[in-house]
Amino acid sequence: MNIQFITSIIALVALIFSIVVFASRWQAMQRLPFGKDRSIPKDSAWKGIMYAFTLGMMPWAKESTRIHMLAYLRGIGFHIGIFAGLAALIASPWFENIPFAIRALFAVLTGSGALMGAAGGVMRVAEKNLRGISTRDDHAAVWLVSLWLGAMAFALIAPAFLPAMYVVSAAMLVYAPLGKIRHCIYFYFARLFYGLHIGRRGVASGLIEHSIPSGRRSHAPQFGGVGAASARLEQEAHNG
Amino acid sequence: MDNAVTTALAVLEKQLNRPLAAALEVCARCGICAESCHYYVADPKLDHVPAQRAEQLRQVYRRQHDFIGKFFPTWVNAEDLDENKLERLAEIAFSECTLCRRCTFNCPMGVDTPLMMRVIRAMATAAGKAPEILVMLADSAIEKGKDPDMFRAMFKEQIAQMEQELRELTGNPEATIPVEKEGARVLYVALAGAHTILPPAIIFNAVKEDWTLSLYEAANYGVFLGDTARAKAIAGRIIEEAKRLKVEEVVVAECGHACASLVWDAPNWFSETFPFKTRSIVELFAEYIEQGRLHLDPTANPEPITYHDSCNLARTSGIYREPRVILNAVAQNFVEMTPHGLENYCCGGGGGLVALPEYDEKRLRAGKPKADQIKKTGARTVAAACENCRLQLGDLNQYYELSVKVTALADLIVKAMRLPEKIAMSVAAE
Repeated sequence: MNIQFITSIIALVALIFSIVVFASRWQAMQRLPFGKDRSIPKDSAWKGIMYAFTLGMMPWAKESTRIHMLAYLRGIGFHIGIFAGLAALIASPWFENIPFAIRALFAVLTGSGALMGAAGGVMRVAEKNLRGISTRDDHAAVWLVSLWLGAMAFALIAPAFLPAMYVVSAAMLVYAPLGKIRHCIYFYFARLFYGLHIGRRGVASGLIEHSIPSGRRSHAPQFGGVGAASARLEQEAHNG
Repeated sequence: MDNAVTTALAVLEKQLNRPLAAALEVCARCGICAESCHYYVADPKLDHVPAQRAEQLRQVYRRQHDFIGKFFPTWVNAEDLDENKLERLAEIAFSECTLCRRCTFNCPMGVDTPLMMRVIRAMATAAGKAPEILVMLADSAIEKGKDPDMFRAMFKEQIAQMEQELRELTGNPEATIPVEKEGARVLYVALAGAHTILPPAIIFNAVKEDWTLSLYEAANYGVFLGDTARAKAIAGRIIEEAKRLKVEEVVVAECGHACASLVWDAPNWFSETFPFKTRSIVELFAEYIEQGRLHLDPTANPEPITYHDSCNLARTSGIYREPRVILNAVAQNFVEMTPHGLENYCCGGGGGLVALPEYDEKRLRAGKPKADQIKKTGARTVAAACENCRLQLGDLNQYYELSVKVTALADLIVKAMRLPEKIAMSVAAE
């Protein structure tokens, strides 16, 4: 048994642990009460849910992400790296059969993700508000994931790094469902509930209108979820 | 553990449902919600970052529910709830968050911070830590609902006098303010005071609406307390009345929280889809205008007019198009605030804060972004479709010397109806 085999087994056990704990968290969520909404909907719930998971995630969709565009894009890059890293981890036993160009592409994604994660780690210390709201768990999570992504980038290019990558992966996978990283599963619930709210209550239509670039928008003020709607009303008023 | 703390924790456990658990678990503490909060814009300090505010409840939740929080609390800043912490939580939820949802809309995760603040309010109310005035207002409304016969005669007498005034003003001897009219199409639920009865009555009579006035007021202070039992008792009076009179729809006065609670929350409190439609009077007015049932002259309101979107109407109830339909029909020079609509800033008076004198200074300081917005429009009149917003805007007007007039949409409509001069004067005086 070589070191690569042993570490890959450790990573596999950690992966199983992670999946089991995440699954139990998912089940625990499903066991919590979630009553049927008896109010009469003003619009389609699906419209809101679709918006919440698509246009609503665009960097221009929210004032906060327009103000913090770089920080948001950094976060997006970090999370793209994470998804690429997870795919690469599953494919890792077969790295030698994967063309170098594809491995190089994933190395770029995970490597960039590692750098974006590290930048996030630095921001947590450097920026006053972020430092104030961060827990030890937040610092540990961002550096652990960044380290994992870095290790993955190296392993994708040079197989000699595979054992190190497996060890870091194991640590990350065990920590993920226990610490802050677990927010990944709650993301889907939170966006779903947000989508239901804005969909049923007829808010999503205004948000969608605002999120799709339109020639009419040029009539509207810079901000305002109903910019396009009010611009149209203004136009109609002018036209009599 | 003392009794108040035990009670508060029991409320947290009872209210822990899927949306609350998601809100408690999902925050990544990225901090980009900061500028979405009007408190932070007015005074940019850590305590005013929505994530930090919600973190105070999360610390308690982690201590109770999180593996690391139970065994290594300092790693995740988990904290036991004690008397001091409970008082601080109550202070945050009642005076440093107006439940405006602006942070939720700006959060990449969609963290429902107002939901967490409502739960804290419920915990504090159950533990006897809620502001006394809110408790008193809610309880007096409940008392009134217990025995309507005690005030029915007096109320009808007042309305009869108002009806006389309505007839004199409109010159229409058949103009009416019906009360408890069975089978009416619309049950209109006003607020306390003639100012939310007379202008809508003029409009209802003008369009020949088949309507009746509710015996009860729309305001629901139980909602501000996060107390479902009280909120249900207050809303229940109106729901019973609507069922008894067999109306087609219940129309709520220009009031954000009253509309949101009756339209969106009440059916869930009662686990029932009501046999009538419920909506804001703003939506009904916009419908009259779109149907061409009101003849309006926008030159009656020539001054620059801006509109403040109530958070409960826009972000909570999706009513952002209808006020603009009205304003474009009644005003010659309607100017938008920046930002406006779904991105509008809270005025600072929401969440019942405008009723709490102990927080006046905090409330007025938090209203600075709104005051700045109004100033930038150059408007001389600020319209708002919410009573609490109008009270706050009136206070901001004085505090920041804005020199504006604050008005309801109904008043602008009545003015644009070009009724005889004395009516316009009477409505303006309101």
